[in-house]
Amino acid sequence: MNVLIVEDEKSLAREIAEFLKSEKFLCDIANTGTEASEKIAINLYDFVLLDLGLPDYNGLDLLKEAKELNSEASFIILTARGAVEDKVRGLDLGADDYLAKPFALIELLSRINAVARRKFNITSPDIVLGDFTMQVQARRLMCMGKEVELTRKEYDLLSYLVLNSGKVLNRQQLYEHIWGNILDDQYDSNFIDVHIKNLRKKLNLHAPTPWLETVRGVGYRVNTMQEED
Amino acid sequence: MLRLQTKLSLFNLISKLIFTALFLVFMPYIMERINLRQVDEDLIQKREQFISLISDIGIEPFITSDSSFGSFNIIKEEFISLEMTSVDEDFNFIEETVRDIDNEEIEYRVLNYTFEIDGQKYLLEVGRSLASIDRTERNIIRVIIPFLFLIIIITFLTDTQYTRYILLPLEKIKKKLKRIPDPSLFDRRPVITSTSDFRRLDDALCEVMENLNNMFQKEKDITVNISHELMTPISVLRSKLENLMMKDETDPEVSSKIEDSLRTLHRLQSLVNSLLLIARIESNQYLKEESFKIREIIDEIISELSPVAEDASIDLSGNYESDCIFSKANRSLIFSMFYNVVNNAIKNTPAGGKVTVSCSHPNDRFIVTISDTGKGLTSEQKQNLFSRFRARDKNSGEGTGIGLAIAKTIADFHNIEIKVESEIEKGTTFSFIFSENS
Repeated sequence: MNVLIVEDEKSLAREIAEFLKSEKFLCDIANTGTEASEKIAINLYDFVLLDLGLPDYNGLDLLKEAKELNSEASFIILTARGAVEDKVRGLDLGADDYLAKPFALIELLSRINAVARRKFNITSPDIVLGDFTMQVQARRLMCMGKEVELTRKEYDLLSYLVLNSGKVLNRQQLYEHIWGNILDDQYDSNFIDVHIKNLRKKLNLHAPTPWLETVRGVGYRVNTMQEED
Repeated sequence: MLRLQTKLSLFNLISKLIFTALFLVFMPYIMERINLRQVDEDLIQKREQFISLISDIGIEPFITSDSSFGSFNIIKEEFISLEMTSVDEDFNFIEETVRDIDNEEIEYRVLNYTFEIDGQKYLLEVGRSLASIDRTERNIIRVIIPFLFLIIIITFLTDTQYTRYILLPLEKIKKKLKRIPDPSLFDRRPVITSTSDFRRLDDALCEVMENLNNMFQKEKDITVNISHELMTPISVLRSKLENLMMKDETDPEVSSKIEDSLRTLHRLQSLVNSLLLIARIESNQYLKEESFKIREIIDEIISELSPVAEDASIDLSGNYESDCIFSKANRSLIFSMFYNVVNNAIKNTPAGGKVTVSCSHPNDRFIVTISDTGKGLTSEQKQNLFSRFRARDKNSGEGTGIGLAIAKTIADFHNIEIKVESEIEKGTTFSFIFSENS
């Protein structure tokens, strides 16, 4: 998939591009509004990641322009402003999603994937995790034909880890994904640890969970490869 | 301390009473003077009448065998006497004497007047009893005193009403100053008054508030701008570190260090976010348009936090006596407010303790209380509880310590009063008192 990153902070644009490339995206960078406007006129993109705070261009104008020239593309707004009205106006103008800086790269990826799934109507296949099966469409976790009772938050936590399987997710990334970042007084909290502990306890009642790994000092990872080793 | 209006009324009353007292002390003297003057005028008039009578009909009819003439009215109130005299000097004076009439001593005011007819000198005496004067005095006092008191009461009442009326603008100015957590909330409409002093006071206050507001606004804008500026480098750093971390070849020890750095960065991000949140709330960038049930929010918070509480062996429970639909509010801010305080309570309660959230509606105001059985707060801690960057206590636990400051800002934004009661080793209770109309 083809992504245009419109971001005036060069090193941030580079980091996003590096990450997306490692996820097999094709990336193009525009550091100014003018550059972005030119690139949009020439190329066709699947995704445009758009920073609203551009020095030479009103981000919302650029969005309007881009929607006309590149109507197939999906737009995700990136902004440091985070003000409610910007968000509402961006979404009104047809942006598909909105991400406030600073964000986790993993979160950006999961938003892109979610938009893509919605757009192309992709039905996610069930995911097998040892003795468990995650029915992504139905938002259920099954174990040997029986549903595992999970709270909504527990399911979200698990599915985020599963969707990013193979990657270590730290507590902040998990926390931000599930609880948003409005409650920000707990950079050091054991919130996620408690939830993972409870989740493990519930799952272990049905079957062992060697695929849900704790990476010491870093975070958690779901390892779907393990079974096949 | 007394109110201005009370002082004015008191002064008014006291001055009236002093005036009355003085009047009562001096009144007999004044009365007497007035009466004597009147009596004297009367006597002189009688004398003139008598003299003109003599000049009309001659003196003979009045001079009888014993060479004197006397006439009393029946109750001995007045008399006129005429007698021949042989003294040389001429008299024309008024004196007070006691006369013995029919074995009765009566005090009279007497006009003595001598005149000469045909070489014979006559002494004319016109007298009036002083008893009648005393009586008049008494009667006048009897009429005047109730009248005086009536006047005092009426003027006191009208004066009080009038001072209240002219002090009304002052009351309005006072009301404007009451309970404004932020100068931007100051009511800038001018108070209607015809008193120039109040006009100036009101104008001056408006000006001061305006200036304060501008200064505050500048400070808030700076905070918002700085926060934005800080977010960009944080974003860059965060992406760089996350990319590094995801590289497969990264050594576990290095990973752990990177994660540490990410945590520190997160702490910075939290801090900046909190400042931004406070600045945004204070510059009214949040809408207050939602209506929701408070209980719903509390339930949500309890279910969110109960895993954490359970893990720390703390009994977290809700106790709902009543519920309240909070309208014209911002749901996510109110959620944050309660969340921060409940979370703070859990952090500060040792294992085996209790955290209870209760909703009640004791009087006309809805109250949410969050009480814990934690360490409690010293009075110094209590004082600095809501300040933004208080000197941090070593045992105050985790967090940037700004959660309560956020809660306070949100409460102010929604006109919710926060009360804190705390006892060392027993626990702390936060009460959120909603304003009456919510």
